[in-house]
Amino acid sequence: MELFDNLLLGLSTALQLNNLVYCLIGVVIGTAIGVLPGIGPIPTVALLLPFTFGLEPASALIMLAGIFYGAQYGGSTTAILVNVPGETSSVVTCLDGHEMAKQGRAGPALAIAAISSFFAGTVATVVIAVLSLPLAALALKFTAVEYFSLLVLGLFAAVILAHGSVAKSLAMVFLGLLIGTVGIDVNSGIARMTFGVPALADGLDFVPVAMGMFGLAEIIANLERPEVRQVVSQKLRDLIPSRADLKAAFPAMLRGTFIGSALGVLPGGGAALPPFTAYALEKKLAKDPSRFGKGAIEGVAGPEAANNAGAQTSFIPLLTLGIPANALMALMIGALMMQGIQPGPQVMTEQPELVWGVIASMWTGNLMLLIINLPLVGLWVSMLKIPYRLLFPAIVLFCCIGTYGISNSAFNVWLMLGCAVVGYFFIKVGVEPAPLLLGLVLGPQLEENFRRAMQLSDGDPSVFLTRPISAVLLGVVAVMLLAMLSPAVLKTRKQALAE
Amino acid sequence: MRSVTGRRFDWPDLLFGLFLIAVAAGTFAATWRLAGGTAADMGPGYMPRAIALALLGFGLFFTGRGLVRSYAGIERVQLRPILGVGASVGVFALLIESAGLAAAAFAAIVIAAVASRESRFFEVILFGLFVTAAAVLLFVKALALPVAIWPW
Repeated sequence: MELFDNLLLGLSTALQLNNLVYCLIGVVIGTAIGVLPGIGPIPTVALLLPFTFGLEPASALIMLAGIFYGAQYGGSTTAILVNVPGETSSVVTCLDGHEMAKQGRAGPALAIAAISSFFAGTVATVVIAVLSLPLAALALKFTAVEYFSLLVLGLFAAVILAHGSVAKSLAMVFLGLLIGTVGIDVNSGIARMTFGVPALADGLDFVPVAMGMFGLAEIIANLERPEVRQVVSQKLRDLIPSRADLKAAFPAMLRGTFIGSALGVLPGGGAALPPFTAYALEKKLAKDPSRFGKGAIEGVAGPEAANNAGAQTSFIPLLTLGIPANALMALMIGALMMQGIQPGPQVMTEQPELVWGVIASMWTGNLMLLIINLPLVGLWVSMLKIPYRLLFPAIVLFCCIGTYGISNSAFNVWLMLGCAVVGYFFIKVGVEPAPLLLGLVLGPQLEENFRRAMQLSDGDPSVFLTRPISAVLLGVVAVMLLAMLSPAVLKTRKQALAE
Repeated sequence: MRSVTGRRFDWPDLLFGLFLIAVAAGTFAATWRLAGGTAADMGPGYMPRAIALALLGFGLFFTGRGLVRSYAGIERVQLRPILGVGASVGVFALLIESAGLAAAAFAAIVIAAVASRESRFFEVILFGLFVTAAAVLLFVKALALPVAIWPW
């Protein structure tokens, strides 16, 4: 069985001592930033990117991936105990999780959240392993034409499935594409929009952009709001959930895992959308929906399973096709490129130990997370006692050092400052910055494939429609756009995202 | 919410639209000298201008929508956080190459703390020293970032 061979190969990579250590570092950092509201996985991964340069590619990706799914575990702890989502993906966990904590059942809530996450993580790893091979095989047949269409599909889907106004997100994608063109044009060697700044010749680095817009702008906006953080203080003794709890939670866990895995694979998927969908489904299926919002254990198990499954399966498009499903995966692409690996379907055949190592490391990582999060939960709770007034200057400093560290240039620090100001503007006018980051990272690939496709077809754009795979991909884009324009879909989307 | 009478425009839409128009205009200005080429053989200016055109379209759309829609405001901008964090990053950028990591890090922490009204003087100084020491150990000693610690 090829699948088992691959998983064994992956396990042999993931179980190497140094990779286990990097995995542990990743999930510990992930849990920490997950627990702390106000800092998410995107600036953290951006911050650590420059320092993964000296690592083996597999170790680097294992650690960065650990941060992402580790943050999903940590986020639920804060949601349950403080009623503040540590991450956006744990917003729904607040509803019933915190209610359970107020009723003195914080222990079972935390335990169910961790167990659901673990269960979903384990299943999602299998899903990734099963789906990766056929997808990568299909993608190997792609030429520049199909690639361009696929990238377009990825960008559009990311925009449509994300939060906020579709038109504004689309505009942000174009903005990202535009700043992606800054730098020396590969084909002609002419500098574009560098304004005579030599540091811009290689293009805008996305790390300062990500840290400015996601890290610093977020801090500035947070400081404008007064801090509210009240930890539910109770002894966390009864961490082991009762049989009845488990019995009630298990079906929800299963459904959440399924929803999360399915939504995570889609471009634009990730950890944010699945928990909302899972929560809505649980509420609909429940015999007594009025229990929800008052401490229903299914309301914790379903969404928690969904966000973890979604976080992991969103690696599928990245590993098999080389296109990122969300802004965080865009950073992963950056990590690959820094290692000198061109992302794409060929990675799977050329670097099997890397791809399967990362997949298998999700098992070891989830196991570590279960241990880190359940017996040691008290440690993370005490971290919540660090006041934000001390936390944020340290984050600002780490962002500065991290940005400076990419290429030892103060220019990048100034660039980050500029992006922070623009990012603050975006927050004020209510626009999500994530699509911009996607556009920025995919821009150069998109332009190159577009140019190559046009050269192949002699400037005839109809080539995108006469090739079958490309036509299907673009057809999906068209259907999605048309669907968005229909008022009925618009209404349900609004409801789904608002709930 | 104050009374709606006499107040117009959807400000978030309007400002975002104007921002996009400005970016598009800037792009046209910066790339007008680059060759556009043809679709079959694109010059360096083709893609930037094509994207800028799309941005211009979005910009006009949002500006128009902002003008037509009823009033929507923007949360008041507070100067203290943005100036504090901005100055902190700026000072770090100025100091890192001339004065070394220790001085730049300490200055960045102390200045950033000004951004919050809740900061307390002695706590910040102590915390700044602690984080500076930790940053030097972590980034220079452990992660081998090639940067001077001291100005000399």
